[in-house]
Amino acid sequence: MNYKKAVLILFLFFQSLFGAIAQTGFPLNGPPDVRPNYIAISNVNIQVDPKTMIKGATILILNGIIELVGTNVLVPKEARIIDGRGKYLYPSFIDLYSNYGITIPSSLKPKGNQYSNNLKGAYAWNDAVRLNINAIDYFQYDDKRSKQYLSSGFGSTLSALQDGIFRGSAALVLTSKSQEQKLVIKAKAACEMSFNKGTSKQDYPSSAMGVVALVRQTYLDANWYNTQKVETNLSFENYNEIKSLPTVFEVENKLAVLRAGKIGKEFGISYLIKGNGDEYQRLNEIAALGMPLILPLNFPKVYEVEEPFDAMNVSLGDLKHWEMAPSNAGMVASKKIPFALTSSGCADANEFLKNLRKAVESGLKEEDALNALTIQPALWLQMDQKLGSIQKGKMANFFICNLPLFNQNATIEEHWVKGEQTVLKKVSDYSLEGNYQVALKSRPNSILSIIKKDNGLEAQIFGLDTMKVSVKEQAGLYQFSFKEEKKSDNQVRIDAWAIQLDSNSYLVKKLAGSATLPNGENEQFTASWVSVQTEKSKTDTSAKNLIGKVIYPFTEYGNETLPKPQNYLFKNATVWTNEKEGIIEEVDVAISNGKISAIGKGLSSENYIVVDAKGKQLTSGIIDEHSHIAIYRGVNECTQNNTAEVRIGDVINSDDINIYRQLSGGVIACQQLHGSCNPVGGQSSIIKLRWGQGPENMKIANADGFIKFALGENVKQSNWNTATGRYPQTRMGVEQVYYDAFIRAKAYEAAMKTNPKLTRRDLELDALVEILNKKRFISCHSYVQSEINMLMHVADSMGFKVNTFTHILEGYKVADKMKAHGVSASTFADWWAYKYEVIEAIPQNAVILNKMGVVTAINSDDAEMGRRLNQEAAKMIKYGKISEEDAWKMVTLNPAKMLHIDAQTGSIKVGKDADLVLWSANPLSIDAKVEMTLVDGTCYFSREQDLVKRSSNQKERERIIQKMLLAKQKGEKSEHKVSAPDPDYHCED
Amino acid sequence: MNKIKYITSICFFLLFLTGMNAQQSTTIIMNGTIHVGNGEVIENGVLVMEQGKIVQVGKTLSSLYKTAKVIDAKGKHVYPGLIAMNNIMGLNEIDAVRATHDYNEDGSMNPNVRSMIAYNTDSKILPTALFNGVLFTQPIPLGGTISGSSSLMKTKGWNWDDAVMKADEGIHLNWPFVENNKPEEENRGEKGIAEINNFFAEAFQYSMQSKPIFNARLSAMTGIFSGEKNLYVHANDARSIVRAITFFKQKYPAIKLILVGAQEAYLVSDIIKSNNVQVVLGNIHRLPAHNADGIDQPYQTPGQLAKLGVTFALSQEGSWEVRNLAYLAGTAAAYGLNKEEALKAITLTPAKIMGVDQQIGSLEIGKDASIIISEGDLLDMKSSSIYMIFLNGETLDLKNEQVLLYEKYLKKYKID
Repeated sequence: MNYKKAVLILFLFFQSLFGAIAQTGFPLNGPPDVRPNYIAISNVNIQVDPKTMIKGATILILNGIIELVGTNVLVPKEARIIDGRGKYLYPSFIDLYSNYGITIPSSLKPKGNQYSNNLKGAYAWNDAVRLNINAIDYFQYDDKRSKQYLSSGFGSTLSALQDGIFRGSAALVLTSKSQEQKLVIKAKAACEMSFNKGTSKQDYPSSAMGVVALVRQTYLDANWYNTQKVETNLSFENYNEIKSLPTVFEVENKLAVLRAGKIGKEFGISYLIKGNGDEYQRLNEIAALGMPLILPLNFPKVYEVEEPFDAMNVSLGDLKHWEMAPSNAGMVASKKIPFALTSSGCADANEFLKNLRKAVESGLKEEDALNALTIQPALWLQMDQKLGSIQKGKMANFFICNLPLFNQNATIEEHWVKGEQTVLKKVSDYSLEGNYQVALKSRPNSILSIIKKDNGLEAQIFGLDTMKVSVKEQAGLYQFSFKEEKKSDNQVRIDAWAIQLDSNSYLVKKLAGSATLPNGENEQFTASWVSVQTEKSKTDTSAKNLIGKVIYPFTEYGNETLPKPQNYLFKNATVWTNEKEGIIEEVDVAISNGKISAIGKGLSSENYIVVDAKGKQLTSGIIDEHSHIAIYRGVNECTQNNTAEVRIGDVINSDDINIYRQLSGGVIACQQLHGSCNPVGGQSSIIKLRWGQGPENMKIANADGFIKFALGENVKQSNWNTATGRYPQTRMGVEQVYYDAFIRAKAYEAAMKTNPKLTRRDLELDALVEILNKKRFISCHSYVQSEINMLMHVADSMGFKVNTFTHILEGYKVADKMKAHGVSASTFADWWAYKYEVIEAIPQNAVILNKMGVVTAINSDDAEMGRRLNQEAAKMIKYGKISEEDAWKMVTLNPAKMLHIDAQTGSIKVGKDADLVLWSANPLSIDAKVEMTLVDGTCYFSREQDLVKRSSNQKERERIIQKMLLAKQKGEKSEHKVSAPDPDYHCED
Repeated sequence: MNKIKYITSICFFLLFLTGMNAQQSTTIIMNGTIHVGNGEVIENGVLVMEQGKIVQVGKTLSSLYKTAKVIDAKGKHVYPGLIAMNNIMGLNEIDAVRATHDYNEDGSMNPNVRSMIAYNTDSKILPTALFNGVLFTQPIPLGGTISGSSSLMKTKGWNWDDAVMKADEGIHLNWPFVENNKPEEENRGEKGIAEINNFFAEAFQYSMQSKPIFNARLSAMTGIFSGEKNLYVHANDARSIVRAITFFKQKYPAIKLILVGAQEAYLVSDIIKSNNVQVVLGNIHRLPAHNADGIDQPYQTPGQLAKLGVTFALSQEGSWEVRNLAYLAGTAAAYGLNKEEALKAITLTPAKIMGVDQQIGSLEIGKDASIIISEGDLLDMKSSSIYMIFLNGETLDLKNEQVLLYEKYLKKYKID
């Protein structure tokens, strides 16, 4: 070191020392104790960054900042030198998903159900929108959790108030012990949000789709806020300050990752999405988002699967997840998705480190793991100048392990944060380890064998007989005790101390001490090191840890590879065309590139997969106008009487097994409707049942937008146990809700035209404006004739048409008026008597409507009946003597018409989508079974394949169960698991 | 009714037959396919009823009649009246209107409450079930541990007193369902079983006494221990089924145990069969209990049980839904059960379970003339249009309020 440099260092040294005194600003009780915080750790292996480890290096720290690092660092004499003794030093990890040190103040705790928010003052209207929060305001050092974080390797956390949808800003803080003033790295370091409204007791939003709607509207409101001059809102004021920070978005599963990503794209925000560890199940879609992830290492425990009947409660997806969860991070890395790792979800430091190593064993590269814990989070927080690696000028945040971190036996012994050491595991400088020749008169020729274990030392004494030795070390004093003889209860007790040390190996070479025998006599004791004790290595007999494959979707009957469209030729089928040709016998139907390409006799079979359909019947697929399958977390947003802003399309659950079950009943498409608990419900989604695809690929591209309206008892909440006080409580009120909504929508539309900048964009009114402009269409839940009439009057007076009345059990009473209005009807075959408003429902309803020229469909509203819609249509023949063709159209072409998709599907016609079903018999007969269901020329169900899947599912289950039983025998922790069944939603849920 | 072709004068094709004993009340159904209900089918058969009873059934007439009403059932199907077990028709009018509910009494042990007392013969639902061939129904109380006592009723009658086919034929017990074997769940289940154990022990003791101090609840249990009355045990999952059968067969072997619901009976058929337990299978038009189950497991269950030798009836729970009873049998037939066996599961087997097979359940000589004639296959909705119904030999008017509404609006719109 040259002179100038030394002077500079000295100058900096005093400057920082001076600074340290001046900084406190606290009155001191006694003379200050400010130490020269100038330290060098030498002879240590330093992982300076994820790629590089420098062996035998030295790190020099001054006042918490790294001065120098390398193999030939000259340590100035002012610095205290600590011998690193060949240990391993890593840059501290950064946890991006944490609530460390943040407690929710009681003033923010909610107080019961409410229509409006609890937080009084000039804040956002919803209690789950906590944009006014800055977590730093609530930050306090937490002794217990500090230890946990330091022992897990984390020197800093991004701490947020993890409660609510918008959670305000998070603070980047150090996890070590100090005054809070010194622990803050960056007071407002990121924004945080989630899909979980947390402790908010405000009614809205009650569903997952309501949460999404609230997120959207909040973003719009925040933008609008900056253009207006009429109000002050502290939540948005604060948001303006923090919105340029990166945003951590916590989600609960892989589909929610996609959901968050979709919102981010809409608003031009790239979130740091904190997932739940199941991203590998939808990896391609997640990779396509191009948004970074924060991954937990919360692997499931072994499930208790000993009892077969009970084990049936565990789904295949959960079984497989137990096996595959450790592979998640590795698989994410292999897709080049940038990611960080968090300890969130791990019970303690042990579990985190164990799972980190498990992830590495399961395919995550060590370098990627380190990157995800250090550099990556630092970069995202734009803190890479200060944190993330061992580099000159950075904060001296690192931890030291006895062994390389990823070694199973590695322990984090000490953690340095901002140059201050926290000893985590008391380790003596010299260790007592190996075989020692014992000199003890009463036990000649004995060997004391000592091994280091996680929880201390373990020892045995060999000689006349072999005995377990209890051994303890306390600040240089060793205590041994063992039985005098194997069969004896009497113990020999020894106090001993090191008398010879080896400074190369850091071993205690010789002990001396005094033994007390059971007879009260004392003996001299010495023990001299003779050899290394090697623990018998546990060799894993199942060397290759085979794991299963990802299936799409990740549930029973999923596919290892996604089915693709094929060119099929159905030979000699009875074809129900739904066209003017009617039902034609012994005809061939060819499909190619997902479309019906030819219909005729004796078609050439070249380049086709031929399906012998002789004696079988080929129809277009069933379309369910009214379905609630494949919807995630809530089919109803009941909390307001108008929730036009919520969208089922935001919450499609592509993993719902009911999709597959519907396919087995010949259903190829359905309208996923919002429930019926409010006059204006949410926007529906029209999907094809492409089993295995993700949510967005289920949607029918360019399908018209639809929305659910509802009338009658449900929207009046007549059958709720108590009066709710939510408007409307009568059919009179229902009408008023509509008039109000559309009058407001018209005013809004006008305002948007005249003053688009100053008009607050309102997603609820947007949807209503779309209805007025015939860009969105109503499917209205309805029962009695009075209300049916009412809505048609409202529509006529407002200048739009109702597209469909669904349920419409008294449609037969106003069929003429419905015909005149031009509305379609989608009804049940024979449901009635389940509530007062359906006591005049008749099973001939659909027949009368059909005969009156109303486009009429039979729907399910029920996942079970949805797969027997062919039978429901057949009931029309029984009750109303209609033709088979007319009955069949009620579940195919007619629903296609009312969903505006009849140009592409609903009949067998050249050029239309190959959405076809092959039946074993007349599809309207109870004997008919589906043999194949094709969507866009892709076979998503075949009875043959179904049987194969059943047996392979069973085999896969059993394989994993056997593995679990073994893991449990080996001592892994277990838990009882009951998989949540896929919900079976109806209108009223 | 224009459908029914009365031939009140001397029937021309019987005229040449001699030596016949003529009776005014004789009705003959000719040329139909007769589904006896016991598994047999008589193609082009003939059935004769007199004074409310079946007096002949077969290929040809074995005795001859001078005067008779003759019904030509050519191309049609003749069935015994269907028997719907395990439902709340007549006890429940509108699901969402509490005032119309008469099936769930307060309290846990209610063997003394009797469903027939609340059975409303004027229910608007009953005629819709009748319209589809359901002539008999077993309204059952629900709720609690012991819900009450059921009776077998006709679906047509002036009042419950007249509608009774068999009063208080069984008592319904809900076996405590244990969702999984988490300790807290198992504890809950054990508590429930202890409660049952205690009650049955008390009731058994009571039944052995000559002059006990009257206790309505215990007294209602008399008849259970001798097997005079059925004990209907409602249990769906495999474990509950095993536990219930083990409990009763070990402690009270004389009890006539009928398993109701029994969704997972196919998993534990041996214990059901070896103990001669009969089964009333709950609605099979339902989703599989577990994702891992075959997607059509509920549809397959009846066929599987038949192969395993278990005797079972099919049932449709609920009230308005009961009119679809025949289609459950149809589905069972489509998924592996012989069609006549499927019919048996809604006719003769229920009659046997309830001990009324001497009167109803099949089209055999000496039984009540409670008969359905259907245009086509009764088990297939497409063709199951009912042509005529006889209850104790009397034809019933099939027009229910739904049909009247239908006709009213056809008239309004001038369509046919």
